Amino acid sequence: MSIPYEYYIVLSGLLMVLGLIGIMVRRNIITVLISTELMLNSVNIAFVAFDMKLHEVAGQVFVFFILTIAAAEAAVGLGLIMAIYRLKKDVDIEKITELKL
Amino acid sequence: MSIIEQLVTGLGVPNFAVLIPEIIVLITAFIVFFIELFTKNRALITATTIAGLLLALLSVFSISQGDITLYGLYIVDSFSLLFKAFLILSTIFIIATYRPYFEKKEIYFGEFYYLTLFALLGMMIMVSSPNLVTFYIGLELMSITIYILIGMYRTKRKDLFDYDYKSKEGAFKYLIIGGVGTAIISYAIALLYGATGTFDFMEIASLATNEESINIGLLAGIVLLIIGLALKASAVPFHHWTPDAYEAAPTPITTFMAVTAKVATYAIILRVMVEALPYVSEDWSFAWALLAAASMIVGNFIALRQKNVKRMLAYSSIAHTGYITAALAAPTGMGFAAFIFYSLIYIFMAIGALVFLTAFEKNEGWTNHIDDFKGLAKQSPLMALLMLVFMFSLLGIPPTVGFMGKLGVFLALIGSEVWWLAVVLVIMSAISAGYYLRVVSVMYMYEPVKKLSFSFTGAERAILILMAIIVLILGIYPTLFWNVSTTMSSILIASIGR
Repeated sequence: MSIPYEYYIVLSGLLMVLGLIGIMVRRNIITVLISTELMLNSVNIAFVAFDMKLHEVAGQVFVFFILTIAAAEAAVGLGLIMAIYRLKKDVDIEKITELKL
Repeated sequence: MSIIEQLVTGLGVPNFAVLIPEIIVLITAFIVFFIELFTKNRALITATTIAGLLLALLSVFSISQGDITLYGLYIVDSFSLLFKAFLILSTIFIIATYRPYFEKKEIYFGEFYYLTLFALLGMMIMVSSPNLVTFYIGLELMSITIYILIGMYRTKRKDLFDYDYKSKEGAFKYLIIGGVGTAIISYAIALLYGATGTFDFMEIASLATNEESINIGLLAGIVLLIIGLALKASAVPFHHWTPDAYEAAPTPITTFMAVTAKVATYAIILRVMVEALPYVSEDWSFAWALLAAASMIVGNFIALRQKNVKRMLAYSSIAHTGYITAALAAPTGMGFAAFIFYSLIYIFMAIGALVFLTAFEKNEGWTNHIDDFKGLAKQSPLMALLMLVFMFSLLGIPPTVGFMGKLGVFLALIGSEVWWLAVVLVIMSAISAGYYLRVVSVMYMYEPVKKLSFSFTGAERAILILMAIIVLILGIYPTLFWNVSTTMSSILIASIGR
């Protein structure tokens, strides 16, 4: 017996919210970056689940685009973290913030 | 028969003739990449970039027949060609200010040039997307390139170390919030795909025909799409990255973000809303009305307390997102025409104000603080006069074109009887006088505090004078631009249900 697709949609929605919470509460900039990756990857689950429902493959093709873009974003993000760490020797959001209202 | 031949006979060859502007921009980017790699000749890099962009601009005008090509993934119509022409034009003006600024701050990298071209390519892909896949790729090519451009303030000068770090921080904040926006937009695309089974704007429109056809999945998709687009266009309450990223980036890059990237985002907002969701306009027009009202109120009130003029202009750009998206609250031909008209004239006002800052920041001791503007009219009368024109235009005082833009949005709102938003627009325009006129008053009514010597390049003077002339001429004679905007909005409406 196969699992209905709605379960996967709920799972992807939960992961999405989890990623959003991670961005809001975590203090370490690496964890914050990983949380955005979690949000992007939760979308992949939703696409594959909708393909189960629609019996198509277009969503799975879109997953490749999301993977590529997530990789590009992670590369730029890690580069920026390296640059920030070189200048400040710290990865704590509270301690490295200089731009304020 | 080889596999490639089979593919070509099965699918047909894409019509590359309508893709020439994009191809020229891409090839120019690679040529600049190799010039930077092998010769590091700065004059040659600038000349190649500008020559390539001029060629792309010419090729935009040479396309006489639009087409939907690349197997239905790419649309070339007069709407996208108009926006491409203006995007390329504004990029030419901005690139002309790159070299003197970067050399003065000792942050010159050839990467600035070809990354700008890649971001421009992303915007051009974005404005001519009839499909959520193309839209997503264009948007991300633009965003990720701009994250890099913001963080590239890498100087060897010890006194600028603070700016060096701030640019990394601004870039990282934009990366995280922009990444959330990307995730939200892709989730919206997933939900729209799940509800309709297609990525194509026209097919989505044919499935979402009335209120009854909207189920919970489609509704959630539309809401998330609006949130994601509002985040990319920096509408309140999703604006938190804007002031930090704009302040932290090198000023020519701020100009690129605040003008070219913004206008491309407005164009795609209009296209997605009108082409993909035309029959449910009552729902999204109200959502955009709320976002516009919040942007106008919050943007203008926070801009009032800013002492740093660059940061003030960042908040003013949030307020302008409010004025422009307010036109979407009236989903009529008049509203869309006002939207296109305001987006186009915003290019000239914003380039003027920000290139002014670029020109002055090159001089030692200039910090963009409001006190630096004191007595500028005595030290450099022409520049002060030009800034006065741009400030009046951003504020919307006739005979500058800013007045015509706001009048268009106002009339569209009255025409659709969205009275409350029209009232908010007028009151917030009046409040914005508080910070625009403060810049003018400190320039003209105070004695100079610091003794600074100013020097400007010919390109900066020429761009500022040209922008001021365009702002004034369009303010007196807006008919040409208004006719173009009206034509575009009627073409856009006619394409519904194609």
